[in-house]
Amino acid sequence: MRNILRVPPTIRPLLLHASRAPYHSYEHVQPSPYREAEREILSAGLTHVPTHGFTHEALTTGAKDVGYLEVSTNLFPKGPFELVNYYLVTQRLGLKDRIQFPSEKMGVGARVRSLVLERLRANVDSGVQPRWQEALALMSLAENIPASLRELRDLSDEIWFLAGDTAVDSSWYTKRASLAGIYAATEVYQTTDQSADFRDTEEFLDRRLEGLRTVGSAMGNTMEWVGFQGGALVNLLRSKGVRI
Amino acid sequence: MSTFAPQAAKRLRLSLPATTRQWTCRACAQQRAAFSSTSRSSEQQTTDRKSTRDEGTTHFGFSTVAESAKASRVGAVFSSVASSYDTMNDLMSLGIHRLWKDHFVRSLNPGIRPAFAPSGEPRGQKILDVAGGTGDIALRHLDHATNINRDSHTSVIISDINPDMLAEGQKRFKQSPYNRDGRVSFLEANAEDIHTIESNSIDLYTVAFGIRNFTHKDKALREAFRVLKPGGVFACLEFTPNLSNPVLNAIYKRWSFAAIPLIGQIVAADRDSYQYLVESIERFPTQREFMGMIKEAGFLIPGERGDGQEHVGWEDLSAGIAAIHKGVKPA
Repeated sequence: MRNILRVPPTIRPLLLHASRAPYHSYEHVQPSPYREAEREILSAGLTHVPTHGFTHEALTTGAKDVGYLEVSTNLFPKGPFELVNYYLVTQRLGLKDRIQFPSEKMGVGARVRSLVLERLRANVDSGVQPRWQEALALMSLAENIPASLRELRDLSDEIWFLAGDTAVDSSWYTKRASLAGIYAATEVYQTTDQSADFRDTEEFLDRRLEGLRTVGSAMGNTMEWVGFQGGALVNLLRSKGVRI
Repeated sequence: MSTFAPQAAKRLRLSLPATTRQWTCRACAQQRAAFSSTSRSSEQQTTDRKSTRDEGTTHFGFSTVAESAKASRVGAVFSSVASSYDTMNDLMSLGIHRLWKDHFVRSLNPGIRPAFAPSGEPRGQKILDVAGGTGDIALRHLDHATNINRDSHTSVIISDINPDMLAEGQKRFKQSPYNRDGRVSFLEANAEDIHTIESNSIDLYTVAFGIRNFTHKDKALREAFRVLKPGGVFACLEFTPNLSNPVLNAIYKRWSFAAIPLIGQIVAADRDSYQYLVESIERFPTQREFMGMIKEAGFLIPGERGDGQEHVGWEDLSAGIAAIHKGVKPA
């Protein structure tokens, strides 16, 4: 039995190197997905985004700031999109340090709301919000779409995890999918928001969450009704002598 | 091209009675050796194992030669093909090598935009193009730097072990404005030992379709690491031994083992050199192995992540016939 279950020797090294766990763990610290040199260049590059935007110039200036050469930007095959991706990854990993929930009484829904708002506030605090349309444009390029969607999925998962959601049924998927949609819509809305302190974005988010609650409860009610009618139909048929 | 026709006819007629049978058979034998582990390739593997045990030998195409002899054998090959090298490249790759080289240089983006050149510092980049004898990569570097990045200070050192290939490059650059401005220089040197170039002095080190012929690739990589400035980039454009798609691979091997030596015979009157060329492609390490060698020399591999995802440290061209490898020297 042990021999059957044993991993074939050819793929054992793959398991050893799988340092990135696909789940959240309190015991193990996740290693940063970026190497030291990349982290230095990209974080220096991000400081130039408010002036140069998400462009090659920002990346090059960042590389020069930390003692690299213009040509060193060859380290990033995707060019400016690496800046966007680095920003997304660091903000997602930093979200847990930006927010603390003091009271246990706060509901999961309210926590999700404040986590989304906190993540959107990070766009403003880091100064990239006026340039965020450029980032969205880069993210929507065909070659970058898979990486962007993966990052959106990870962010949605992170938010539900931090909100303390412990669902293990099929709503695990629907929750993450619907929050990803809401977050993406709200972020697009934020890029054009002119109101003071991004009040409009907050209201926009509230309307979306309210819609989700309405649709969610309507869905739940409908499913309950369908289930009841189905059961009643089976019982009716049985009473007529159908062998089900 | 019109001059080739009578020459070619003559060459073929001369060689037909004596060697036709012989060379078709040899081509078949090469193919068989390439496709499966027939007697020939297993024989080759045993010689390989032998050669790793005793340090004195290396491979020259499919044959095993003494390490000291490889450089001179390669030298002989390139001396004999130097004059028709660029024409042959066009014919063998159906012109695609131009696209590969253009893409290679464009992705490297040589040259410094005036906006990024601080006054006071020496301006422009220093590029070393190793095994760049005929200068086609060097010319692309300079064109890109000048026309795209408006940088008229970047200069290229063309290094080659073979004086005949360098002579072709000098011929090519004779009329160009770059030669007048002193932005191109020629250096006859072995890439495994370029002591004339001081350490930490080069921004960009390129080698296109050359590293395959080096006797000690690891030594050449360490030498590249030495001459590059911190943050400098090593970039290599090279053929790969096998395509990932088996069907395309079979078609490609047919082409390379049957057509390329034949074109070499007709156009350059030199079958053996082109036979060596396709055999040496077959003996070159795979993309993953070669990436490992670059990493071992100390370079950071672009596109490689610490989290075990996206392990693509190279870029395949034309379904993987050739590949671009890059490495950045850590600062």
